[in-house]
Amino acid sequence: MAKKTYDLLFKLLLIGDSGVGKTCILFRFSDNHFTTTFISTIGIDFKIKTVELRGKKIKLQIWDTAGQERFHTITTSYYRGAMGIMLVYDITNEKTFDDIVKWLRNIDEHANEDVEKMILGNKCDMEEKRVVSKERGEAIAREHGIRFMETSAKANINIDRAFSELAEAILDKTSGREADADHARIAVERRPSRAPPTRACCT
Amino acid sequence: MGLHKARIRAFEDILEEDSTIDMVTLRSLAFNGIPDDKGLRSLVWRILLNYLPSDKNSWQSTLTEKRNLYKHYIDEIIVSPGGETDHPLNNSPDSSWSTYFKDNEVLLQIDKDVRRLCPDISFFQNATEFPCHKVVYSGGAKRLHKRVEQSVLKFSTLERRGLGVAKLSDESRRSDSTQSGDYAPLHEGREAHWEVVERMLFLYAKLNPGQGYVQGMNEIIGPIYHTFAIDPNKEYRMNAEPDCFFCFTNLMAEIRDFFIRTLDESDSGINYVMGKLSDCLKKFDPVVWDLLEKQELKPQYYSFRWLTLLLSQEFALPDVERIWDSIFADSDRFEFFIYICCAMILLVRQELLNGDFASNVKLLQNFPPMDVSLILNKAVEISLAA
Repeated sequence: MAKKTYDLLFKLLLIGDSGVGKTCILFRFSDNHFTTTFISTIGIDFKIKTVELRGKKIKLQIWDTAGQERFHTITTSYYRGAMGIMLVYDITNEKTFDDIVKWLRNIDEHANEDVEKMILGNKCDMEEKRVVSKERGEAIAREHGIRFMETSAKANINIDRAFSELAEAILDKTSGREADADHARIAVERRPSRAPPTRACCT
Repeated sequence: MGLHKARIRAFEDILEEDSTIDMVTLRSLAFNGIPDDKGLRSLVWRILLNYLPSDKNSWQSTLTEKRNLYKHYIDEIIVSPGGETDHPLNNSPDSSWSTYFKDNEVLLQIDKDVRRLCPDISFFQNATEFPCHKVVYSGGAKRLHKRVEQSVLKFSTLERRGLGVAKLSDESRRSDSTQSGDYAPLHEGREAHWEVVERMLFLYAKLNPGQGYVQGMNEIIGPIYHTFAIDPNKEYRMNAEPDCFFCFTNLMAEIRDFFIRTLDESDSGINYVMGKLSDCLKKFDPVVWDLLEKQELKPQYYSFRWLTLLLSQEFALPDVERIWDSIFADSDRFEFFIYICCAMILLVRQELLNGDFASNVKLLQNFPPMDVSLILNKAVEISLAA
């Protein structure tokens, strides 16, 4: 068995309507290439990339999903284990943006409650075809308290940044949780001496 | 060379029989691979997919009838909406416009997918020799991709000329071809093969409303159409579209349950078939099965796509066609297909045993290029032991 070459393993998931560029984003991130010659994703695809954050080697295990409704039973089974989810829409296609709400509902139904989310408006190099303004993207992200970024897999805009911000948010949460856990333990240990015996007065 | 010629001869002998084709012999020949020569695959697939009956006497009438039927489909289904009393803002559910807009949602998905069909070969981007005249000379009105081109109005600018004369100048079209890569629509009078595939899939979705279009169907129809459209026999090549449509419809009748979500759990659904593959692996290589189980590498991570698409995304087109010879020749479809998938796993068992979860998912999702005869021979071995 291979030796562990990383400190932490984060599982990420890419979701969004078909054709918004999920596979291209992932390919840009993992192989630093762009090509328009992608076949459509059927079911679920998978890539690995190790990044370094705050001196920690983090292995990102990224699942790329098919956009069409038919595949949801297959793809939603991946939501549960995901620590971070990227919701992608296409800034040149109104419907893919409208559907973000639907995807958010999917996350609520199937993912862990504390999953880190990020909305990406992809294809931002195609300014002349834009139909969804950056402001609308920001607004929906703000409304749901989610991070937001416009990206272009083609022009390599914000792709690395998106993944490292998402990873960093998960890292924050992970170390935060460790600290919280310590706190909790201390608090529990102290409680007996501080907590008044509530029933004492009644007896 | 002598052997190859002998194989061609064997096929020709069977196909040249006077009246009824000996299906048992034809199946066993096709099972070992149909030669690429003389349009043999194109003809034999038509027979194996139950489009052409074994009785040769009825071939001509079958072909004439089906090809005419397909023409009717085009006339009835590929239409522009409207009429004297109807208009796009008509709210009535009976309005032809309401159907038109609903259909366009399906069409949008088909359009996205046919423009990414087999991108590693140029075939689908090339012009067909035999475009559908009613479509290509309709001034764009019957071009399906035209219906789903993104709204142009937002980018149009009003040009004022003189008093109150306004003209919308359409500026968005210039970037159309850059967006779709090389899958650019062709000019009036011509059409690319991907446009033909788009039409067939749209007709299929309209004629099978319970199922509609599901992503991946493009990968099933692609190899059939390619095989038919390169047939050296001109009459068959000219009718690649109608013939392919009916062969695809017949094939889908056998595998359509894989594409229907509500049937996932049924005895014909995808989960059941994935389970069958898993059982097969467990029987023939319990060690590998156990390892994948321990690594929690679930069959759906790789076999969902293998099975749904009949392996069409796992291999290069010529290899897919060779594999399909054997699958189509199997009278007990899709028993042998499961063995092929199982053989693929057995052939990379050593790598799997040395790999961790991540490298094993990668390996199975990107199956290494391999001589397909190796896989097929292994599958035969399994079938004999099963």
